[in-house]
Amino acid sequence: MGDKQTPRKLFDGFINAAVSIIDSPVTWFRERVVTPNRESYPWYHQKFRRVPTIDECYTDDVICFYEANSQFKRDKAVDSEILAILRIRMEDCNMFHGPDAVAKCKSLVETYKEAEGNWFCKYGDLGFHGNVKDAYMKQKHRMVWERRHGPVGSGMRDAAAAAGDE
Amino acid sequence: MAAWSTLAKPQQTSAVLQGIRRLLAPNATSDLRHGITQQIRCGGGHHKEMFITPSRFQWNKCKDMVHYYVFLGVIPLSLITFFVNIYVGPATLTPIPENYKPKYWEYYRHPVTRFISRYIMPNPQMEYERHMNVLHEEEERRQLYLLEKKVKQLMAERSDYQAYYYSPNTAIKYYRKMKEVKKEENDRQGDNL
Repeated sequence: MGDKQTPRKLFDGFINAAVSIIDSPVTWFRERVVTPNRESYPWYHQKFRRVPTIDECYTDDVICFYEANSQFKRDKAVDSEILAILRIRMEDCNMFHGPDAVAKCKSLVETYKEAEGNWFCKYGDLGFHGNVKDAYMKQKHRMVWERRHGPVGSGMRDAAAAAGDE
Repeated sequence: MAAWSTLAKPQQTSAVLQGIRRLLAPNATSDLRHGITQQIRCGGGHHKEMFITPSRFQWNKCKDMVHYYVFLGVIPLSLITFFVNIYVGPATLTPIPENYKPKYWEYYRHPVTRFISRYIMPNPQMEYERHMNVLHEEEERRQLYLLEKKVKQLMAERSDYQAYYYSPNTAIKYYRKMKEVKKEENDRQGDNL
């Protein structure tokens, strides 16, 4: 124990000294010059009210459409950030465990895959000019398809079987 | 100030600098220059000399540009950046207190962004509501236009209304007059022509 301690202490001391060549002037400047002269003041995270969604708007109501579209774009930004956080967690787990990741990161990978599928369900393939009406129609088409052919991913049935069941 | 505007024009800047040089060394003679001087041979008096030198345009222009971009660009902006970041500093994220509606510039972190949002850019909520008002008005105009279009289309199809496609017979009064004239002639002349 003693043999291992002394070289480690010396090595740690050397590394600490090397780092503090750059670190201590910066820390001194921050603590003596910067922080005493600053007053802390707040900034806030903006919370938007929920407005009626596109399925609650009349077809000729332009204002309702504009508000629903703005809400859709905000929700898309938020959902993209949530997906990015889940992706970072999964990738960090995979990178950390290396070959073990197949077994150890299973829950994170499953969560991310499900979230990715859901994001694509709602926002994917709408194009650059895709608005909330396109997303609504996409949902409608998907529901009709699921009514005719079963859940998405289970393959198409032939026309006769689909028409018969519907 | 008019003095600063001369610095934006390089010719006047170099003229200012030449003037300063002449003030500092008024007795400088032509042997400081690298050029060849040419004396015009004329009898008596002091001769006017034309200095033939290589062009110093690029050098003067370079000095002007350095002065302009450093004294009016690099130095003021560096000072502003340094003092704003050190002495004002970015804001700290706090939850919104009860019964307090934050101003629209208090949703940003950096003090310069807050300044721009507060004094230069318009209130986003105001712009949002103004845009919705414009959309509403334009939609009402569009509905009126569609209604007019439908009415004209029906008038064209049915030709039953004295309005858009109606062409009045304004010659009827001349027709009636001519009919009277012809009747009177016929009465006078009879049918045996």
